[in-house]
Amino acid sequence: MHGNNMKRSGFLLGAISGLSVVSSLDNVFAAAFAQAPLPGLPGASDRVLVVINFQGGNDGLNTVVPYGLPDYYRFRPSLGIPQGDVLRLDDTVGFNPVLAPFKKMYDAGNVAVVQGVGYPDPDHSHFRSTEIWQTAAPRTYETTGWLGRYLDDAGLPKDNLFNAVALSNVLPEALVAKSTDVPAVDALRGYGLRSDRNGSDREAFHEFARDTTVPFRSPYLDAVAEIEDHAQRGAEELPKLVAGYTPQATYPATPLGRSLALAAQIVGSKLGTRVLYVQHGSFDTHVTQKQTQDRLLADFANAISAFYTDLAAHGNDKRVMTMTFSEFGRRVAENASRGTDHGEAAPVFLIGGGVKGGIYGSHPDLTRLNMGNLAFGTDFRSVYATVIERWLGRPSLAIVGGSFPTLAAIA
Amino acid sequence: MAAPTTDPATFRPAGTLDSANALAPYNGPWDRRRAAHLLRRAGFGGSPADVERVAALSPQAAVDGIVRFPDTSSLAGAPALETPPIPPRGLYRGFAEGMAADPEVADQRKAFQMQRNASRRRNLIAMQTWWLERMIATPAPLQEKMTLFWHGHFTSSPEKGTTAQELFAQNRLFRQYALGNIRELTLHVAQDPAMLRYLDNNVNVKAHPNENFARELMELFTLGIGNYTEQDIRESARAFTGWTFRHEDDGSGTFVDAGARHDDGTKTFLGRSGNFSGTDIIGIIFTQPAASRFFAAKLLAFFVYDDPEPQLVDQVAALLVKHNFELQPVMSVLLRSNVFFSERAYRALVKSPVEFVVGTHQLFGVPKVQLVELGTLRTMGQVLFYPPNVKGWDGGKAWINSQTVLTRENFANGVAQNPQMLQDAAWVARTLPTMDPKAIALALTQTLLQGDVSPAAMAQLVAYLGGAGQAEMGQLSGENIDERVRGAAYLTMAMPAYQLC
Repeated sequence: MHGNNMKRSGFLLGAISGLSVVSSLDNVFAAAFAQAPLPGLPGASDRVLVVINFQGGNDGLNTVVPYGLPDYYRFRPSLGIPQGDVLRLDDTVGFNPVLAPFKKMYDAGNVAVVQGVGYPDPDHSHFRSTEIWQTAAPRTYETTGWLGRYLDDAGLPKDNLFNAVALSNVLPEALVAKSTDVPAVDALRGYGLRSDRNGSDREAFHEFARDTTVPFRSPYLDAVAEIEDHAQRGAEELPKLVAGYTPQATYPATPLGRSLALAAQIVGSKLGTRVLYVQHGSFDTHVTQKQTQDRLLADFANAISAFYTDLAAHGNDKRVMTMTFSEFGRRVAENASRGTDHGEAAPVFLIGGGVKGGIYGSHPDLTRLNMGNLAFGTDFRSVYATVIERWLGRPSLAIVGGSFPTLAAIA
Repeated sequence: MAAPTTDPATFRPAGTLDSANALAPYNGPWDRRRAAHLLRRAGFGGSPADVERVAALSPQAAVDGIVRFPDTSSLAGAPALETPPIPPRGLYRGFAEGMAADPEVADQRKAFQMQRNASRRRNLIAMQTWWLERMIATPAPLQEKMTLFWHGHFTSSPEKGTTAQELFAQNRLFRQYALGNIRELTLHVAQDPAMLRYLDNNVNVKAHPNENFARELMELFTLGIGNYTEQDIRESARAFTGWTFRHEDDGSGTFVDAGARHDDGTKTFLGRSGNFSGTDIIGIIFTQPAASRFFAAKLLAFFVYDDPEPQLVDQVAALLVKHNFELQPVMSVLLRSNVFFSERAYRALVKSPVEFVVGTHQLFGVPKVQLVELGTLRTMGQVLFYPPNVKGWDGGKAWINSQTVLTRENFANGVAQNPQMLQDAAWVARTLPTMDPKAIALALTQTLLQGDVSPAAMAQLVAYLGGAGQAEMGQLSGENIDERVRGAAYLTMAMPAYQLC
């Protein structure tokens, strides 16, 4: 933070002496405009992680269906997916039939299925379990998220406002960092300041936000001024920076489709973005699950398929890996409302560049349930460690809060 | 097991604590700037008239008027809440046994759940709106500020199906004990239906002790980690067995001490042994030096500055012990102290979203809260009656990121552009006839920021208002003054000082 003081006072001096036009271009984006489209910003050709959060607790059993385990049909008399409909991956498990486009990606070797992911003493509250996944801390309350800790640790350029972008209207806790400010962008339309009625207004605005030569001292002044400055510049610059991108796929006209289209646009605009976060849901299927889950999974399959088609057309598919997660799976036995209640372990998908396709870990044992729930076989922090170490190339110990073995799912 | 993190950034103010005089009454200069500081910390900032009124008193009289709550009987006493719908007879027959329902019954259950969820949403909206409007209007702002403090401390939420009636009863408890006895409040909280449900004490029974409440009671509510053992948690959980509540048809809950489910064996807790009840456990906790230090540190971080020095914490802790955990006399000392009015404490905190929104309403004379503002508060990161977890809101730096700052600035813009603004905020309207950019800029920066603005920014604001040096903007005129003043009000609220408390 203190490293930026010089630079910020430079901004302010420039502004006051009437050089605000020059000063407002004195940032990393000026270079981007000058050199567009290649080679892009620092890190523009580096690896990207996209995280998709299946909000609400997705039923893993009807996503990766254990059609070869007879108990599955005993626990799911009305919700069980018939053997003949399952898109088989091996002799035991297969995809829900609505995942057909995703099955093609699996068949091409671009999908790793990690079975039975969870954590000890699982919490059945949406809030708390989401927080546990986001902070990678099942037993403590942390003020930063696992992706935030990665961003702080990775030595990314401090002046890049888009080291990570959350495609949501609230910043997810996973991206809360100590020294990296992550913008949350729900959609380009509606993102930004609603005050831009004229350019002068905006100029004065920027200068005020950076005004730290005030007649008081506050331990928070520099932090607030820096983030205000980031927020304003980011809101102004992002739409311009991604404007030159043309999608090469047809995305579903759904919130997830729009989010992944924007994610591909950001990746393809070479902003140096390393982490993107996308939300999908809600999967909280206590009642008449099939209708809701099928719609959401079909949407996922279509959107992720379009995403990788688009990325490939721009030569970016190999450098983008996507990870899905949900705060918990669901109860093994269906309930009386043709739904399922909050459960525990569930599969995680790793998709795209660098993934060694296949199934990792065995399906949780349906004959040894944990109070009606699937016992986990792989700690979710192992999946995080795999992504941090094998994909993003950083040590994972401090980021995931312990030493967890990595999986062979990434080369 | 804690996830290791990098060194936490410290937001303790620069400079040195004057330890010998920290809690002595402040007798230095008194002006609107200091009056506004007191009103921001002990409330939500107040209206421009409130600042004038308090600035005209002595600091001691000002604090007296705040810690002795004025009469609030003119305020709406409670939100209008719907009684939660009761499922039709037989709708859930066989549900607990896991029997499959026929499709018609499944549809009826779905319809009932939608009805219940919609009712819950309306109740939550009613409670949030009621509380925000009370914060804006109250003549006793410290009562609401303390209620907010306790809400973020003894957290509960609707997360586990707690009704609005139960949550509102808890809110009323916090208001009743705003500056009351902390030990008594802790005991009431331990018997509060919303808390019993939130931390699972309603399923803490002799046969299957549940440690959730006992753990958080010590870790987050009274002592802090390191001041008890896992064994103390297990033993005290046994003491709370049987404390549960009865759910009433009107949606409220009633505390029940179910003797049959209580473990009346001997427990050993923090070095003492006996057939302890939950009441005994709380009594023992409050004999621990760690308890007074824990509350002292939390009060200082909320009202004075972050990461307070251990010497200062010890001084406030000693006061708490001296006053037997009665908060009123302690806050009375703290809010009139040298350390509270020191330059080190000035603007040393970040406004919470609630402080930001309520304070802006007060400054601009807007008593009503619109539905859209509840969503705005959510995007800013604070939903009343819905703390993020049992630890409450982290506050400080956590309030500020690109998204929350954009939302704050867009909110400020909405307030400045509100067609009613010049009618509601007479102090803004009064500046218009001057047609003087300097006078208008001065009024805006004095009232919104107590003059906490740099000469350069002030000059820029005057230039903006006057249209000087900016080719596309004409001179200030009758035609553009409305728009220009709104723009300038917005720009003033976009300065970092406005984010600071």
